[in-house]
Amino acid sequence: MNEEEKDTYRRGEFARKGEVILREHEYDGIQEFDQKLPNWWLFTFYGAIVFFFGMWFVYYTLGLVQSDQERITKAVSAVNEKKSAALADTLSNLTDSVLVHEWATDESKVKAGEAIYLQVCIACHGPNMDAPTKLALSLVDQEWKYGNAPLDIFKLINNGTPPESKGMEPSGARMMPFGQSFSPEEIASITAFIISKNKEDFKDY
Amino acid sequence: MGEKSRITFDDRTPRNFMIASIFWGIIGMMIGLLASSQLSWWQANGKFLEFVTFGKINTDGLDLITFGRLRPLHTNAVIFAFVGNMMFSGIYYSTQRLCKCRTASSLLSFLHFWGWQGIIVGAVLTLPIGLSQSKEYAELIWPLDIAVVIVWVIFAINFFWTLARRNEKSLYVAIWFYIATIITIAMLYIVNNLQIPTSLTHSYPIFGGLQDALVQWWYGHNAVAFFLTTPILGIMYYFLPKAANRPVYSYRLSIIHFWSLVFIYIWAGPHHLLNTALPQWLQILGMLFSLMLWAPSWGGMLNGLLTLRGAWNKLRTDPVIKFFAAGITFYGMATFEGPLLSIRAVNQLSHYTDWGIGHVHSGALGWNGLMAAGMFYWMAPRLWATKLWSVAWANMHFWVSLVGILLYVGAMWTAGIMQGLMLGQVNESGTGLTYEFVETLQAIQLPYILRGIGGLLYLIGFILCAINIGMTAAKGKMTDVSIETYLLKPTEKDTESIRSLIFHRAVVYTGILIALIALWFFTPFSMAATLLVAIGMVGILVLFEFKWNGKSWAKFHDNLLENYIPFTILVLVAVAIGGMIQIIPSVVVNRHVNIEGRLQELYTPLELEGRDIYVSEGCYNCHSQMIRTLVPDVMRYGRPGVADDYSHLGESIYDFPFQWGSKRTGPDLAREGGEPVDDTKHVRIGKRDNLWHMKHFLNPREMSPGSNMPAYPWFFEKKTDFKSLAKKISVQRQLGVPYPAMTAHEIEQHAREQAMAIAQTVMKDAYLEDRPDLSGEAMRNHLSEVQFTAIVAYLQKLGAYTEQNPDKRPHPLDPDGNLSKFEP
Repeated sequence: MNEEEKDTYRRGEFARKGEVILREHEYDGIQEFDQKLPNWWLFTFYGAIVFFFGMWFVYYTLGLVQSDQERITKAVSAVNEKKSAALADTLSNLTDSVLVHEWATDESKVKAGEAIYLQVCIACHGPNMDAPTKLALSLVDQEWKYGNAPLDIFKLINNGTPPESKGMEPSGARMMPFGQSFSPEEIASITAFIISKNKEDFKDY
Repeated sequence: MGEKSRITFDDRTPRNFMIASIFWGIIGMMIGLLASSQLSWWQANGKFLEFVTFGKINTDGLDLITFGRLRPLHTNAVIFAFVGNMMFSGIYYSTQRLCKCRTASSLLSFLHFWGWQGIIVGAVLTLPIGLSQSKEYAELIWPLDIAVVIVWVIFAINFFWTLARRNEKSLYVAIWFYIATIITIAMLYIVNNLQIPTSLTHSYPIFGGLQDALVQWWYGHNAVAFFLTTPILGIMYYFLPKAANRPVYSYRLSIIHFWSLVFIYIWAGPHHLLNTALPQWLQILGMLFSLMLWAPSWGGMLNGLLTLRGAWNKLRTDPVIKFFAAGITFYGMATFEGPLLSIRAVNQLSHYTDWGIGHVHSGALGWNGLMAAGMFYWMAPRLWATKLWSVAWANMHFWVSLVGILLYVGAMWTAGIMQGLMLGQVNESGTGLTYEFVETLQAIQLPYILRGIGGLLYLIGFILCAINIGMTAAKGKMTDVSIETYLLKPTEKDTESIRSLIFHRAVVYTGILIALIALWFFTPFSMAATLLVAIGMVGILVLFEFKWNGKSWAKFHDNLLENYIPFTILVLVAVAIGGMIQIIPSVVVNRHVNIEGRLQELYTPLELEGRDIYVSEGCYNCHSQMIRTLVPDVMRYGRPGVADDYSHLGESIYDFPFQWGSKRTGPDLAREGGEPVDDTKHVRIGKRDNLWHMKHFLNPREMSPGSNMPAYPWFFEKKTDFKSLAKKISVQRQLGVPYPAMTAHEIEQHAREQAMAIAQTVMKDAYLEDRPDLSGEAMRNHLSEVQFTAIVAYLQKLGAYTEQNPDKRPHPLDPDGNLSKFEP
């Protein structure tokens, strides 16, 4: 700033109310005003400090905040219950015969199952369902290792390879429980898709 | 007043640092650009070399440039090479002028400059070959860490020696920030890099699991604070008023925001670990201090922007002011976003997504990069005694950068929020998740590409800068500026005794208040009320004292500024408190109690080796190992039917270093592993079997269509280092991991057996394109020797733990070894 402007400010250390002063000292030509702190800034700062005391008091001193562990366990339990209920609900209307004659013949359901197959199952069971990679069992060899009823297939997809099974030989590979990521409806549609590709095997149900 | 004398500044050092900063900056940004393209096109991990060399190099992926190894190189290059050199340039330039004396030792300046460049070259040579500690922004291996400490000490000696020789009684605010930088970075870097070497290039940190996480993010967050923020604030305080030719807006704001910033910043580290297994009190403390940090940060922004009052007209003509004004604005934006992201509820959405990447880049590109450019354009004409070669090019640089940053940050916000929302979306029935992980990754491909374009624009901007500065240098002449000044006699400066200043009433009162508040953190209800009253009373007392004796307090601070040693001591005290209160309880409290009922199973020697490969490949750059206490996390990554399947503290207790991660470009791997297969000692099958992993490492897209993970063909060529395991396990035992006593031979034997057993499971169906000759037993023997079996052993072990009664302690260190799970 120019000398003329400099002279309009009082030089010194302690500002009086409403006054802007220019500090005496200069560093390599740099000067400093000494202005009051903006009120909105101060209130932001004070507000955060007050919030700190309040929140810590509520959380730690009074112990009013539920622990993360309690909260999450309750929430996930609720989801699990809902899942079990949904599964029971689906299963109550689902019989071997319904799967074969209603689901596997309903084009929209088979299509939904196919879509999931192409996205997820295909990685191990292959595009032609014959598991060329040997990562999983073939789905078109007329062998149903874990039970050949339609509902067995449903349960296998939902629960994954049964714990008592040793899985694939010799790798020990096991299928994940897809009930974790898919709803019972979706599992049923995957089952329907598999049945639709193996009509002969399930014609007796 | 002493005699008048002529002083010539050492301007060679700032000049060298400036050139180094621009050079490394461009390299670091290019690496960033390549890394960002790897997220869109997996071929960028090496496959592209096939096209550009017309098939001469035939590879699905080149280990040296995979994302996991490049990303640490990028972060280290831009933080330590680009901003580091820039900060040294500004500090050497301004400190001499603010102290009216030449830097104390040209030799030390020389050693500092070349030592630092040597470390950077060391990083460039080690990180791409997979030598890494895996602690973010502290990946450098231990010999380089030692070099960093030595060079930093050289810098500190040179700096404080210059302060001692100063011809200016009082320290300007820029110097305060430089002092805070030097002291705090030394403290952080040393503590976070405490480690025990197992070889010349490998070590284990002395902290593991929770402790390591806490120390790492205390460091990581404050590297941002004291490497990317405080030195740049100091630079702002020098160069901005110079360039604008206006007085600094408010001296008292400088004082308040300096002390509150350095005191509060250090507490905010735990906000990098919100909703994880980190104890809740630390999470809440981290969040609340982050919120309190908002105002001190904005204090710096205000002091910068309001200094421009009366100089805004220069915005039209002077590119320096343009860069500074925009840089400070980005600082304000990033320091508002930071506290916002630290709110636990917001963090649920933002953490592990690209929002964090966007946030850090609005700071790095917006604040650091623009401030650097402004400073370079201001310094270059003065260092080469000429005019800037082209103002138009500098303006072009500004606009290209600005568009680049906005594109970058906007794209990352979009990507982060979109992916966060998709990952948390529950399907209609409320029982499952709507999207597979890979679907969320595919959904953000467009923002990823836009981000790359933003980064490219920014890089172009800096290339314009390099040309502009280069041309300026070419037409000018290297000049060392000299001034006439009065010399201060030793008796005229630093006159107060240390004791009288650090035990001044202002300090003692503040100390008592902070001690009471710290005590209050940990007291139960009955005492808390009493303490609160005491805090209130002391608080009021301090207020009254300040009201009546304000002038003496102000005098005290002015005195403090004239005595650099007590000032430095008080800064050290202010920055040490937060870390001590947060970290010490977690280190001294018996770790064995703090496991939340689950105790991690020990890694077998082969699994440990696999883990070291995981660390070395930088898998943590994309994969977390932390199921947060959030419903979508537990639903996605937890086991079916287990309601409390979030990650418990004890599950990573033996992880040196911890691998909780900070970003998920791929899914979480905390429960990737599983139970041992019946009838086998060593083979585990987790979510996916060994053959799946084999095919996945060879071609991730075959197993997971749409994945952008690089292929790892060298896992099937590089030999597992069985020989190093004995030393590694002995160091792990030193660290308190209860390994049974085993001879070196037994350890190697055990690892080889396990590798053989794993190879056995895949030999029948394994096929390696590069080795069509291998099949049957030859294939098995080959696989048992290569890294694949080690990394698979580790992956299949992830998440293995034993249930513990809360009161039952885990196995003590037992030299006779009685761990049945472990017996060969």
